[in-house]
Amino acid sequence: MTKRRIIGAVSFALAASVLAAACGGGSDSGGGDGEAKKGGTIRILTSGEQIAHLDPQRNYTGSDLAFAGTTMHRSLTSYKYEEGDAGSEIAGDLATDTGTASNEGKTWAFTLRDGITFEDGSAITCADVAYGVSRSFATDVITDGPTYAISYIDVADYPGPYTATAEQQAAYDKAVACEGNTITFNLKNPVADFNYTTTLLTFSPVPKAKDNGEKYDMNPVSSGPYKIESYEVGKSLVLVRNENWNADSDELRKAYADSIVYEFGLEEATIDERMIADAGDDQFAVSEGIQPENLQTIFENGDEALKARSVDYYDPYVSYTNLNNENLSCYEVRKAIYLALDREALRKAGGGPYTGDFADGFVKPALALDYAKSTMPEGYNTDGSANVEAAKAAVAEAETKCPDVVARAKSGLNFYYPDTPTWQKSLAIWQDNLGAIGFKLKPEAVEPSQYWPTVMNPETDYDIARGGWAPDWANASTVIPELFTTGGGFNLTRNSKDADYAEFEGLVNAAKVNLDRVAQGKQWQELNQYVVDRLWALPGSFLKAQSIWGSKVGNTFQWGPFGAFCFGNLYVK
Amino acid sequence: MLLFVTRRILFALALLLAVSFFTYMLFAMLPADPAALTCGKNCKPEIIEANRVRLGYDKPLLEQYWLFIKGFFVGRDYGVGAAAFSCPAPSLGYSFSQHECVTTLIARTFPVTFYLSLGAFILWMTLGIGLGTIAALKRGRWQDRAATTFSAVGVSLPTFYIGLLVLFSFCIWLRILPFPSYESPFEDPLSFLTTMILPWTTLAVLSAAGYTRLTRNGMLEAMNEDFVRLGIAKGLRRRTIIRKYVLRSALVPIVTIAGLDFAALLGGAIITESVFSLPGMGRMSIRAVVESDLPVLVGTTMTAAVFIVLANVVVDVLYGVLDPRVRSK
Repeated sequence: MTKRRIIGAVSFALAASVLAAACGGGSDSGGGDGEAKKGGTIRILTSGEQIAHLDPQRNYTGSDLAFAGTTMHRSLTSYKYEEGDAGSEIAGDLATDTGTASNEGKTWAFTLRDGITFEDGSAITCADVAYGVSRSFATDVITDGPTYAISYIDVADYPGPYTATAEQQAAYDKAVACEGNTITFNLKNPVADFNYTTTLLTFSPVPKAKDNGEKYDMNPVSSGPYKIESYEVGKSLVLVRNENWNADSDELRKAYADSIVYEFGLEEATIDERMIADAGDDQFAVSEGIQPENLQTIFENGDEALKARSVDYYDPYVSYTNLNNENLSCYEVRKAIYLALDREALRKAGGGPYTGDFADGFVKPALALDYAKSTMPEGYNTDGSANVEAAKAAVAEAETKCPDVVARAKSGLNFYYPDTPTWQKSLAIWQDNLGAIGFKLKPEAVEPSQYWPTVMNPETDYDIARGGWAPDWANASTVIPELFTTGGGFNLTRNSKDADYAEFEGLVNAAKVNLDRVAQGKQWQELNQYVVDRLWALPGSFLKAQSIWGSKVGNTFQWGPFGAFCFGNLYVK
Repeated sequence: MLLFVTRRILFALALLLAVSFFTYMLFAMLPADPAALTCGKNCKPEIIEANRVRLGYDKPLLEQYWLFIKGFFVGRDYGVGAAAFSCPAPSLGYSFSQHECVTTLIARTFPVTFYLSLGAFILWMTLGIGLGTIAALKRGRWQDRAATTFSAVGVSLPTFYIGLLVLFSFCIWLRILPFPSYESPFEDPLSFLTTMILPWTTLAVLSAAGYTRLTRNGMLEAMNEDFVRLGIAKGLRRRTIIRKYVLRSALVPIVTIAGLDFAALLGGAIITESVFSLPGMGRMSIRAVVESDLPVLVGTTMTAAVFIVLANVVVDVLYGVLDPRVRSK
């Protein structure tokens, strides 16, 4: 599988029923035969050169969160280590329970358990948690991590612990207060599901004395059942048991394996061959992602044993296309672009049906409370084919309503894309499709690693840019506001000048503070439709992924919130 | 001879300084922004700017280059307050992608590349010169044809093809060898050997092909030289003539090419390291290219340049040893 830029991390219930329905093949044994037992070594094979970040405050992708959270870093709360729906429920982790809200959701308190320790045996205190959270404010050093703490906690202009003045630090200490074993967060606004936010490793403890900033990524101190024995980028990460982890203080982690070895830098083709061959140590291995050319061998060639140790599932991500609404300020032009697109051809270019299903919005069905099937624009073909006639009709309408925007589209739209083989193929399809309605593209190939910094730069004048997102926890509050409001962390639609934006933002703010979760879900459903009705961005696919594991690995279910293995609880059969 | 060597070394140092300047400038002028790379998903222009200042990329290019050179001799400091850290001399910068000083990264990956190159070099020189000699001595016979065929096939096959072929053959289908998993020869010699045998063979087959042809042609040419005929006329033994005169004469161009080939390999055998998952400098370089990790790119390019320049010096000196006329000139 090609490396996809992973944005965001956590999704709601990828329930077992959804998985079962989604799985064109394969099954998830959830452990399979025999009882779980202690011992052995679990291996994880990857083409990646390293874990993106092991520093808890910088860790922010589904699989990495699932790995680091189940093995090394405990947070205040956690998702339950369960298959199906139960896996999306939260429980206290370092905290005794899922927290107590007061002040109408503006104040949240968590009491730490007794007996929680770092790998050196020292007790984890409230100050360690507060210090860990404070690091996430230092966005120049602690890069890549989630910024919810910055958005939510009621402290202004706090630059993080490395450069804060005494006054700034005092303000932070007031906003994140410690009293004995209880840590209290004072928030700017009510956050009904703040205890879901605290499942992020942003809320993991860090011992101040061991913090070496940027370099902490390579040698973080463990609070979980495993600690680092060796970590060599491009080669391997070896985790061994943390003898100072107190199992009695941890209701979630079972830590069956004696050690967990992450093998980096393997050729993707080699990983597949090894996993299919299932020989030697590879029988104790798991791998996320299967090369497209091997999907048929695994899922369709009738080898039931092979199929039984693999899974084809919906991962938490939704792909979409951002339109710059300042330039494309005319709905009819946006609609014409959407209807002219041959989405089936684009899906084929990306790998075919195994990559995902056509999306009808930005909230995935797995977010059950927040999802409702959207009404798509008139002329939208559900089979993914282009509707050129309808698109041309939209252009004709636009000629009257907004001739300047049509003129821009005809003279050439700035199309920013990552310079990868898949996107080069997609570009040709885009050019062909838009050419059919008289629109042109000015392609801007961006070196893949520079893509997000480039399009996130307000000075970049794109008309069309790619997008991909997964909710950070089981609430569309981490989708709609993030993608479509000016305060969101990933709004590339530049929609703030749209006539409807003020109304939209008001509705979003109302939904965010609604403590009635069911009613809030209804609001998100309506807001998802609100965006689809305006096509500020164009829905792409509800993405799927595939994983495979060796015949001697148990507990291999795909953990819904992360779309990944529950790594720390895998066991050797 | 001492003057000859000193002159070559001084010239090499000047050349390296020039290479460092052009390499740094070339990479610094690329459109990739190292400051933006340190800034992830929640990247905002003010964060990029803050990181640019923190890393010194806000300074004029010449000053950046000066800091780079200075860092090599006295080390460099990064960050402020509790988050401060330093890369000690000889510093080639810091990789914010791999969270390590570039010198540390090179020190860690270079031994892998060195062992890969050295083993492959010994194999291909033995194989290439051996087969070339046999082909020359058995000119026109089946041994010659076999060596020539080997040479043609070896040259035609791309590295990744041979690499994957031997990897899948020996590790998956026949299961004679375990999958490559690099270990230091000092820590686990057996694992080292079982891991390296396939990449060595892959590289050796490719390179030996060229050396077979080169040796064969060189020897055939030398056999027709007057000094060989004189040796025969004086009654010297055939073995002596071949070893002392023919082969020695044929080796002169081979030494030149071999030195440069070996040095180039030390810069990183990118494809071989990738196919066999060897954590060497080549794979690190390719990752740096993909991620626009400029400090690593500059560091690995400079390291490769050092070996190429060094190899040139050694070849020049060896040339002098093999052919006394060079020294006298």
